[in-house]
This record gives sequence, structure tokens and C-alpha cells, in this order.
Amino acid sequence: MRLSYFLSGLGLCVALAGCGSESSHPSKISVNKNPFPSTYQHLPRSSSLLIQNATVLTGTGERLEESDVLIVDGKISQVGKDLPTDGATIIDAKGKWVTPGIIDVHSHLGAYPTPAVESHQDGNEITSPNTAEVWVEHSVWPQDPGFNTARAGGITSLQILPGSANLFGGRGVVLKNVPAFTVQQMKFPEAPYSLKMACGENPKRVYGSRQQAPGSRMGNMAGFRAAWAKAVEYKANWEDFENGLISERPERDLELDTLVGVLNGEIRIHNHCYKAEEMAMMIDMAKEFGYDAGTFHHAVEAYKIADLLAENGNCAAMWPDWWGFKMEAYDMILENIAVVDAPKNSCSIVHSDSENTIQRLNQEAAKVMYRANENSFDIKDEDAIRWITYNAAKALGLENKTGSLKTGLNADVVIWNHSPFSVYALAEQVFIDGAKVYDRADSTYQAVSDFKLGQATITTSEKGGE
Amino acid sequence: MLSKKKLAAALFISSMSGLTFAESVAITNANLYTGATPAVLEGATIVFEDGKISAINPDTLNADTVIDGTGKIVTPGLIGSINALGLVEVGAVADTRDSGTEKGSITFNPSLAFNPESTLLPLARKGGVTSDIIVSSAESNDFAGAATLVSTSSSLDFTTTEVAVITYLHGEEKGSRASKIQELDDALSKQQEKLTKKDDKEGDKAKSPSESEKKLTAMLEGKLPLIVATERPADILQMLALKAKYNLKLIIAGASGAVAVTDKLVEADVPVIISATHDLPESFDELYAALDNASVLASKGVKIAITVAGDSSHNLHQLRFEAGNAVAHGLDYQTAIRAITSNLADFFALESKGSLEVGKDADLVVWSGDPLEFSSRVESIWIAGEQQSTITRQDKLRDRYLNTQQSDLPPGYRK
Repeated sequence: MRLSYFLSGLGLCVALAGCGSESSHPSKISVNKNPFPSTYQHLPRSSSLLIQNATVLTGTGERLEESDVLIVDGKISQVGKDLPTDGATIIDAKGKWVTPGIIDVHSHLGAYPTPAVESHQDGNEITSPNTAEVWVEHSVWPQDPGFNTARAGGITSLQILPGSANLFGGRGVVLKNVPAFTVQQMKFPEAPYSLKMACGENPKRVYGSRQQAPGSRMGNMAGFRAAWAKAVEYKANWEDFENGLISERPERDLELDTLVGVLNGEIRIHNHCYKAEEMAMMIDMAKEFGYDAGTFHHAVEAYKIADLLAENGNCAAMWPDWWGFKMEAYDMILENIAVVDAPKNSCSIVHSDSENTIQRLNQEAAKVMYRANENSFDIKDEDAIRWITYNAAKALGLENKTGSLKTGLNADVVIWNHSPFSVYALAEQVFIDGAKVYDRADSTYQAVSDFKLGQATITTSEKGGE
Repeated sequence: MLSKKKLAAALFISSMSGLTFAESVAITNANLYTGATPAVLEGATIVFEDGKISAINPDTLNADTVIDGTGKIVTPGLIGSINALGLVEVGAVADTRDSGTEKGSITFNPSLAFNPESTLLPLARKGGVTSDIIVSSAESNDFAGAATLVSTSSSLDFTTTEVAVITYLHGEEKGSRASKIQELDDALSKQQEKLTKKDDKEGDKAKSPSESEKKLTAMLEGKLPLIVATERPADILQMLALKAKYNLKLIIAGASGAVAVTDKLVEADVPVIISATHDLPESFDELYAALDNASVLASKGVKIAITVAGDSSHNLHQLRFEAGNAVAHGLDYQTAIRAITSNLADFFALESKGSLEVGKDADLVVWSGDPLEFSSRVESIWIAGEQQSTITRQDKLRDRYLNTQQSDLPPGYRK
């Protein structure tokens, strides 16, 4: 096998299966780019499922009244009125709402799980400002009870990111929110990897307080640029070696492997960055080294540079109203997500970064929509739903697999009892790849984590209900 | 997305919303959610004057200002609790934080540092909150310090009222929570002994009591409530035992485990303050956290108030949505309204607060629609009869960057 890791398009072996043992040439090494492959399998499902008579928000800007969603073999087959019922399992959703499965692009579930005991604090390798070599999937505890509560809130896919103490925090991973006992069972097949970066206060505080670089924002930038410069060099060395220009094989470096993955467009940047001036610099730095600046997370000041973000094609993933916990989160406005959404080619996302609000991303989007509409915007339900579905999928490179109800996409679907933008809305049924993974009315479909099993609890009858 | 016409309308409204203070104000034909009995008065008129509610549905309407409340909902001003409003500006900026101290004690009173000019207050008002119970966060001490009623008005002409003492009881990083329970018991026991001895030696010149002794005495006399922030059922039972032993007025906050001891809470007449969105076991103390806890507690007869989960200082404007979530998970709607208004007044003996009744403070809010829904907003808000602005620093930043003034100069010139 050729070491073609860094040469996109040249006989690339992505090692999904079967590659890695062809070569006997001593100077070549084999790089398996997918050493922990997804073993995800959809849950049991009907081959054909028809959800009838719902108000449907497609995730692509459409709202359809009294309409049906037909799911065949786990894919969206058709959305429209009076779809044929033949042979399908039918769900009457009259008076209910249907949306694509909700996607959170910023979660630490599993890596910073509950209970938040010290033994579980695995979300950030806070030992060096550059830990691009760590992969957060190696920290994910699939029994985090938060996966189950998120599913009850309609979350079907989520990106787990490392924390933000480091300039380069390591690789993130996209999961399907199915109950599982290994991480591989949750990994979203074929989802691109991501790299977490962090601007601003966190890296300079964590390392500056240790009398170590970075200790300032300019130190942050120097740290980023030094790493990218080294990655460019590393990439060139491997290319030279592959092309026979140099005879000595460069030493493999897991940290630089990840950065080169970014330079090659295979790994997507997800950058914790609050402030307008810092995001603008991150965009320029990406141009300097030839990669895509990716998605800005938290982006509390994104409204100040909404046009720049849209022009440059960056997504921004934001909270509706968290603020004031540190200086870089002081300039919050309640309409941030709507302002970022307004220009053409924008990509505005509501994220959670929280095991709590991930359960209510629909409510988080609702707050933005209504506050913005009080202040000269005219945002409809069918627009706002994109912030937690299509745009989120786009930031993850998965818009052709999930995030909307387009024909052929994975049937990740939520049935709500009310408009998802009501405080009273609850996800009633949740489907991933056409398989029911949650049902509010049927405890058969309510998973309980190993951790919660056998712990003190009160029963439904003790609650005096049902 | 931005329509110019709507923009102009928004500007017009905000220029009209300056502070006004009329002699008497009447809101007519509104639906009053009273926080009292009856819970709802439809198509009602409410009048206030000199800072107090002076009439509800008077025979003749006589007011300097009359506001048409048709289609609107009026509630008492919402009451927040268990946070550090006015005691923190930026969480990570140490010199803007005043809610805690290493040397906390029963006499530590963080409200001496209350800053009504904090930018957090207008945002709280935007969420319809008119009063708040701020508390000491000095968790490691036996008693952490005072809980104090403050107004969300930004006026420097303000008063604060100490309404309770708070302590925190949970798993400790070092040592045992048992020590904390013993310390609380010891302090109360010693003071009770002193009071008994004093009674015995009637006529002796008693030493004048220290501030901490005065507080302990007030607690023993049931005049000063003790808030215990705790979660585990077993810990709640320990506190109920302490209450029984010393006849304390007890309030449990946090209280995810309350659902497992509802009978005992009802029997002891101990209310709880909970978040309606707390459903994960953040610690081993919180295994009972669940979204329907508010509903279950209320259905079992436990008196509840609702507070905001997490950073409830910066996020206090979300109080109404917390209550909405409780309703989504089964809580009766008007019970939810009381859980963010009159129940707090009841727990903390705030006699002039929390309900729309004649004689109460004119702390009230006119809502455009269902106050617990995202789609509604505060249209007008009064604290003690004085109309309040809901323009926040966030609004100013938004208008600056949306360039609502249509200025050719850079944002830095737009004010």
C-alpha cells in the first residue's frame, strides 16, 4: 500500500476495509485513516412507514400543511399530500408537527458526562496547548444518561467535541444518538472528522497561568500559526517522500496527521471563538495556510461580522442568550442567530454545548425567532428549523445524509405534539434511519443507561400518574 | 429578512417607551392571572396608585392614565430566587463577583454589595421579573449567609430586605456532609441553650447578643427562614429532623430528591424551590432529577416555587420559560404562575408581593400573550407603581450593528 494519506485523489486508501497489508516495501508504512470504524446498525424498523396528516417543516425552508412523510427502508421516500398507504405502517399525526431529526453540532456528552464526577472528566487533554493528536471518541462513555435525555428532545445526531482549553483540542466525532455500549456503535458512518480549535480567553488563561505559552491573544495566534507552518512542512515532507524526492521516510506524528487532514480538506475545523476581531483573524489565518476556517462556535459577537461570515462561507453555531460568564461572552444579543442568518449564503446554527439545553434546541431556536421578529425580522417556523437541522448538518458535512426531509436522505425524523417553537412542545416519537428510537407514550422505546439502572427512583405509579 | 417598514415601527415604539409615572393607572379589560384566588379574572380592570394596587374591577373607573388591556394578560411581577443578581457582572471577572467569600457565616450579607446598575437587571425586567431573592454562595461554611429580597429596578434609590439564611448541603470534596449537619445542629443547640439559661436567670444582666446570636434566635423563633440547598432524599430528611428539633421555618432548594419524600414535606409544611429543567444526575445526590418533578410535587401537595437552572443571575429572564417547561411536563398552569410569583412571597413572608390583590405593591406586568410562551413579550412593567424600561445593553448593541439609525459612520459612532 502506498502512503497516500496526504495525496487526495491519488489511489487513496481510506481503509474502510481491507487495505493495509499489500506492501512489503520496508520504507513504506501503512496509515489506516479509520482505525475505529463505525459499527452502527439501525434499530429494528418497518420497511415502509407512513406518517400522515402532519404539519411538516422540511428543514429546507418549506412548511407543508396536512402532509405525509413516507419512509422506505430507512430513507425519506416522499413528502406530500395523500401519499399511498399500501403496505406501510401508518402513524396518524393529525394535529402534530414533523421535522427532521434535530442535530447539535456542539456537545460534550459522553466525554463530560453526568454524573460529573472527577473520574469522568475526560473531555479535554489540558496538558499542552496543541493536542491535535487526541480523539474525543476515545473519551466517550456511551452510558452517559444525557444521550437518552437528548433523544427525548429529538436529537438524532450530535457532534462531540473536545473542550476548549487548548489552541488545538483534538478531533471531534459525529454520533448517531442510538443507545449503545461501544462508541463505534454510535459513530455516524462516513461522517468527516473534525478538529476543535479555541480562540480567546481559555487557552491564554489555562497556559498563561502556568507561565507557559500562550499567555495572551497574540500568543494564541503565534501558537496557531507555528502549528500550521509545521503542518505545511510535514505535508510537503511526506509528499516529497512519496514522490521519491527524498529517501528518508519522515517520522509519523499523530498531531500533525490531524492538521494535515485539515489542510487536505478531509477534516473540518470547529473553532470555539467568541469575538468578532478574533473570528476575522481566524479567517485570514486559514487563508494564509490554505485551509477552510470552518464553523465558529459560540460566536457571541458573530452579529458584528455577519456579512464577513457569509461572504467567506463560514457557519456560526451559537446560543440564543447565554452570556456574561466571561468577558468574551459579554456582548451577547438575543437576535445574534437571526442577524447571522440574514445575509445570502449564511449558515446560522443553534447549538447547545450543554447536556441540558441539547434537550431543548427547538426552544432555543424559538427564543431567537420570536425576539428577532419583535425587532424587524420576519422569520418563519420553516426558516428557524434550519438552524437546528439543515444548517447543522451542513457544518458537519452531512447535509446529503441527514438534516432535512429530502428524498433519499436518512429518515431521521421527529414527531412533535405541538409546533416545536412552543414551550409546551414535546417530541413524541423520534426515528433514526427510519427506526423508532424514542416514544414518549411507550416505555419500551425509552432507553435507560446502565448507570441509572438499579438506582433509587420513583415509579410512574408512585408519581400518581398513568 | 429585514423589512424597513417594520424597522421604523420598532424605532417608534422604543422612542415612546420612556419612563412615565402617573398618579394613578388603570389597565382595563385585561385577563388578570392574579397569583391569588380566584386565579384568573377575565376582562378585568386593575388600578394602582401611589405604588400600590388600589382597586380591581372598581364600580367607577377613575384614573389619570388608562391603558387598554384588551387581549392582554396581566400578571404580578415575577419573583426570581437563589441567584446573584446585582452581585455579579461577569462571572470570570473576579472583582465583579460579590456573592461569596471564604469567611462566610450566618452574618455574611452579600446584599451590601448589591449593584442596581448592573446590566443584568434590565434583562431580568425584559423577562417580567420585578423582585429577586439573592443569596450568599459561600457554600463551604456552616451557614453561608443571607438571602435578601431586592428589586430589579435600576434605581439607586433602593432598599434590600434580608429574608432568610441559606446553607448548602451536598457531597464534599474533602470530609463529610455529616460535619455540616453537626455544625448546623451545634450552632442551633448552643443558642437554644443560651436562651434557656437566660430565661432561668431572669433579672440577671444578660450580655447583649452578638449579630450571629440574634440570627440564630430569629431562626429558633421561626422568624427567619433557613434555606437549605440540597438534593438527596436522605439529606432532606436530615433537615426535616433539624426543623422538627428546633421548630425552624425551613425551605429546601434544589430538591431533586423531594419527590421521594413528598409525604414528609407535606406533613412538615416545608416548601421547595426547584428548577423545572433539571433532569440529569449531575452528581450522585441528584438521581431523582426529572422533568416532571414540579408536577409530581405539586400533585402530592408540596408547595413549590420555580427557579432558573444553571446561571440564574444572567439567565433570570428565562424564569417564565422554566415555568412553561413545568407545564409542558404536567404542572397545572396557574400553579406554575404561582410558582414564580405568590408562592415565593408566601415562603419568604413578603407580604406586599407576589399577587394582584388590592393593597399589594404595584409590581405588575402586561404581556402580549401567554407569559410562559416564547411568542409573548413584556409590553409594560411596573415596580411599586413606577414604569420600568426594558431596554437593555443588548438592545443597544443590536441596534448599533443593525444600523437602525442608518448612519454612514462606523458602528462606534452609533449610540
